[in-house]
Amino acid sequence: MYLNKYQQQILEGKYGRGPQKAMEILRAMGEARGAEKMVEISYAHLMLPDVMFFPYGRQGKWGQELIRDLIQDIDHLSVPATIEPKFVDLNIAKQLEFSEDEIKEMNQIMESAVRFYEKLGVIPTYSALPFFVYPGKLNQHVSIAESISILWYNTIFGSCCERDDGVISLSAAITGFVPEVGMHLSQNRYAQVIVRIKDELEVNNFADSDFDALSLAISRRTKEKIPVISNLPLSVGQSYTKLKHLLATIAVESGLPLLHMVGITPEAPTLETALGPNHHKVEEVLIGEQEIREAYNIACTAKENHIDYVLLGCPHVTMKEFMEIIKIIDEKKVHPNVKFVISTTKLFRDTASDMGYLDILKKAGAIITDSMCIAFAGTKVKGTIATNSIKGAFFYSGFDQGKVSPVWFGSTKECTHAAIEGRWIGGGKYGCS
Amino acid sequence: MDVLKGKSVSKKHPIVEGKALVIKDLIAFWAGIDWESGDIVEVAHSGRGQNVTGKILVFPAGKGGAGETFGYYYLYRNNKAPLALLCNTVQATTVAGAIICNTPMIYGFKKDILKVIKTGDRIRVNSQKGEIEIFKENLIYRKE
Repeated sequence: MYLNKYQQQILEGKYGRGPQKAMEILRAMGEARGAEKMVEISYAHLMLPDVMFFPYGRQGKWGQELIRDLIQDIDHLSVPATIEPKFVDLNIAKQLEFSEDEIKEMNQIMESAVRFYEKLGVIPTYSALPFFVYPGKLNQHVSIAESISILWYNTIFGSCCERDDGVISLSAAITGFVPEVGMHLSQNRYAQVIVRIKDELEVNNFADSDFDALSLAISRRTKEKIPVISNLPLSVGQSYTKLKHLLATIAVESGLPLLHMVGITPEAPTLETALGPNHHKVEEVLIGEQEIREAYNIACTAKENHIDYVLLGCPHVTMKEFMEIIKIIDEKKVHPNVKFVISTTKLFRDTASDMGYLDILKKAGAIITDSMCIAFAGTKVKGTIATNSIKGAFFYSGFDQGKVSPVWFGSTKECTHAAIEGRWIGGGKYGCS
Repeated sequence: MDVLKGKSVSKKHPIVEGKALVIKDLIAFWAGIDWESGDIVEVAHSGRGQNVTGKILVFPAGKGGAGETFGYYYLYRNNKAPLALLCNTVQATTVAGAIICNTPMIYGFKKDILKVIKTGDRIRVNSQKGEIEIFKENLIYRKE
């Protein structure tokens, strides 16, 4: 693999041990995947184990050890960088069933890590939706370590990023380079399978969770192939919230970096353009009511109607979702047996506060938090969980009916009703009740 | 004995030899495998209940989120990692896991390894040459 003079000097240790180790990892990745050279990036989104990945107990120490080499001799990053959510908001950790000892340990590991990264100049987004802070551009090369964001930058902006993980994205931010493979090369970005939505589905009337179900149905059928959805209503592309629900599930279910939507994604003005050289040899997958109902049935593992937790915000609750919740809450109260956690970003929290939403929600008895990962931290709770996210449902129950935390999956509206009533009512067109 | 050539993630590893565990579905190392036990725990997964520790893990490719590498790393730190990884297609997070944990990994063979290798076959993984040697389980049995 070719390295230019500057990259070679990093590798030889001229800029210290951390950059050297980062270049070693990037070169190993490049050689493993047959890259000819590195490509310069202009932005990175970081996923740090000591901030996000269960930073307590044995794995907390392992996380610290994993990046110890990489951060030696580092006092700045080569590109602007945002950061994934913290594992948990320590102010609400007790309500999510963490012990005093765990909280103390997390405080130590997580907070010292956070101080270190912020000193490096990391933009403190603590968000899985960094594109609200740092939107990408067409053909811009970036390194992103967050599955929905990888899809978002490639799909919605037409930026180029591989499925980088925490170690690769940190190495990329330190050096400013990634190997030129996969999504960084235009010939790898064409769709490989067509998805067509049957007329019987009224996508324009979909509840937000219906997009999760659609996403699961698609990813179970297209697997590792890049899909192009040929007939989504263009209005889907105009709603951040719909796109969030659509992209979040397929991102983890299929492990895909890119999804084309005809008329919505920049690289898919037409079906033919999205398919490029693959146009003559692709299969077509059909998705209808049956497939959507099946997806709901996979995600709903609960049998009994009572609810202990309503966990919203995987990824973070958007303004549209806040509005839906507020409309239903009105002046009602959260059921005394339910913990209703609304997890958002700092950005949306401030806006929601300005709009008076937070006062209404606090008065109702909801727990509002930001900058944390409700998918991970929520795995600690025992009891029946309601969620509007299939990605969340997967982390809580693994789609396993035998788990201690059974899940009801439905729309933001259904989840809010569940928080008020203390039981699952359902009522969604395709959903579980 | 069959010999198959693929692309080696790193040539520096010594030759390792072990028993194959063939899994037909994509594997998630975060949440799909329990790093405490090394068991595949994903529901409705064809490999559910199988243990990957110390095996030559043969699978189509990795899947899951960007946290995959940490899942593999925790498995490795807990001494429950596979001995080597053999895949049909390459997935970046799986490669990163192999690099960080020094696990031999070969991918991109000319034949579909899920069809050529059976669970229980003895596999010799030569990272330097990017080659695997397959000793069919039943032949060894007859010899013994």
